[in-house]
Amino acid sequence: MIQLLRIELYKIFKRPRTYISFAIVTAISFIIQLAMISDGKSFIAFALQGVSEQFDIHGNVLNGYLIAYIILQSLLMQIPLLIALVAGDSLAGEAGMGTLRLLLSKPVSRMQLVLVKFMGSFIYTLLLIIWLAIIALFLSLLLFGQGDMINLKSDAFILLLKDDIMWRYAAAFAFAMLAMTTIASMSILLSAFADNSIGPIMTTMGIVVVLTILSNLELPLFSLVKPYLFTTHMIGWKGFFDDPVPYAAIGRSALVLVAYTLIFLTATILYFNRKDIKS
Amino acid sequence: MRKFGAIAVAIFCLSSFAARAVSGDQLFDLLRKKMLTVKDYTAEVKMKINVSYMRIPTLAGTLYFKSPDKMKLERHGGLSIMLKKNINLTVSNMIPTGSVTVLDMGNVTIDGQNLRVLKIIPEDDQGQIILAKIWVDENSMLVVRTETTTRNDGTIKMALRYGKYISYALPDKVTIDVDVKDFKLPKGVTMDYNEVRDETPKKETKNRKGTIQLNYISYQINTGIDDKVFSKK
Repeated sequence: MIQLLRIELYKIFKRPRTYISFAIVTAISFIIQLAMISDGKSFIAFALQGVSEQFDIHGNVLNGYLIAYIILQSLLMQIPLLIALVAGDSLAGEAGMGTLRLLLSKPVSRMQLVLVKFMGSFIYTLLLIIWLAIIALFLSLLLFGQGDMINLKSDAFILLLKDDIMWRYAAAFAFAMLAMTTIASMSILLSAFADNSIGPIMTTMGIVVVLTILSNLELPLFSLVKPYLFTTHMIGWKGFFDDPVPYAAIGRSALVLVAYTLIFLTATILYFNRKDIKS
Repeated sequence: MRKFGAIAVAIFCLSSFAARAVSGDQLFDLLRKKMLTVKDYTAEVKMKINVSYMRIPTLAGTLYFKSPDKMKLERHGGLSIMLKKNINLTVSNMIPTGSVTVLDMGNVTIDGQNLRVLKIIPEDDQGQIILAKIWVDENSMLVVRTETTTRNDGTIKMALRYGKYISYALPDKVTIDVDVKDFKLPKGVTMDYNEVRDETPKKETKNRKGTIQLNYISYQINTGIDDKVFSKK
C-alpha cells in the first residue's frame, strides 16, 4: 500500500499541471499583497467607514494577519477548483491514458487503489494548504508586520489581539484542510464515473460554484437546504476569527464535512468495485 | 404667632443661603482652576469598549493627555480605538471653556452622596459643546458626573470614581455612555459563516447606546509631554 502511495505521489508531482495550483495560489497572493501595498489604506478606509465615523483607529491596521485573511477570503472559490485539478484526474486520468486496466492487473484490490488515490489527493491538498499558509500568512507578516486584527462581519466589528491570532490561523488552516478533503473525495467519486479527466474537473467546479451561490443567497427558498450543503460548512474556518469562537457550530460543520467525505469515499469504492473497466 | 412664623421663614432662608455659601459661578470657577493644575499626564490604562456591534477585548495601553485637548492612547504595537477627536475622554473636555453662563440647579442625592448640580451654557455658540450638566461633590470639590450635549456627537454621559489621585482631581475609573450609530455591511462582501450568524442573538440595530470604561492604573502628572507624541500615527 505504501509502495503504491509512493508511486501515486510520484505520478502526481511529476505532472507539470500539479504545480499550476501552487503557481495560481502564489500569483493571487502576490496580486493581493501588491494591491494592499499600493492602495491598502484606501481599501481599509472604505471598509471601516461605518466605524471610523465615531471612532479613531490608530496603529498598523493593514498588518500581515489582516492581509492573510483577505487572501483566504479571496481564495475561497479558487482552492476547491485547484484541488479538482488533481483529484478529478486521479481515476479518470488513468482510464483516459489506458493504464487503469494495467494497474488493476497487479495484486492490488480496487478498494486499495481508490484509497491510495484518495491519500495521494489528500497529501497534495495538505501541501497546497501549507504552501498557502507560507505565502498568504508568513509572507504577509514579513511584508506588513504584526498587529491586532480587525475582522468585519456584516453586523459586527471584531478586534483580535495580536497574541491571540496565530492559533486561530492554525485551526483555520486545519479546518480548510478538512473542507478541501471533502472536495477531493467528491472529485475522486466523479473521476470514477468518467474516462477522461476534463469531465470530473469541470463537474467539480460546477458543483462548487452552484452550491456556493446557493449557500450565500439570502432567500427563504434556500434556507431549508443550506444546512445540508457542504459549501455552507466549508467556510467554517471563519468561525475561528469570531469572538467568542462558536465551537459548537464549527464542530457541527466539521462533522458534516467528515460525513460528506466518508459518503463520497464509500460511494467511490462501491461504484469502482463494480465498474466495468474497459481501458 | 405671625412673628414666630416670619422668624422661622427668615431663619430657613438664611440657613439655606449659608449652606450654599459658594455660588454656582464661584463653584464652577474653583473646579476649573483645580482641573487646570494638571497640565499633562501619562497614564497606564485598561479600556473596555461595550458597544453592541463591537467585540473588543480589554485594551491595555498608555494614555497621553496634554491640556487643553490633546489625547492619545498608545498600545505598544497594537491598535488603539478612541472616540472621535472632537470629544476627548477627560472631564475638562466635557466642560465648556471660555465664557459661560452657570445655572445652579440645587442639590440632589445620588447613591447616598449629596451633589450640587450645575448647568453650564457656553457663550460661544459655535463650539462643540452646546450644554453641560455637572454633578459636584462640594466636600471634595470633585466632578463626579457630567452630561454633555454636543453639536455632532449626541449626548455623552460620564461617571467618575476617584481614588489615589484625588488631590489632582484625576479619576481612577471613568465610565462614558455614548450614542452609537448603526453598523451594517453587505453580507455579499463579508461572506459571513452562516452557522455562526444563525447562533448570534439578533439585536435591534438602531439608536444603540454604548459604554466606554477606562480604568487608570497609574498616573505620571505634569512631567511635560512633547507635542510630537500626539502627532505620531
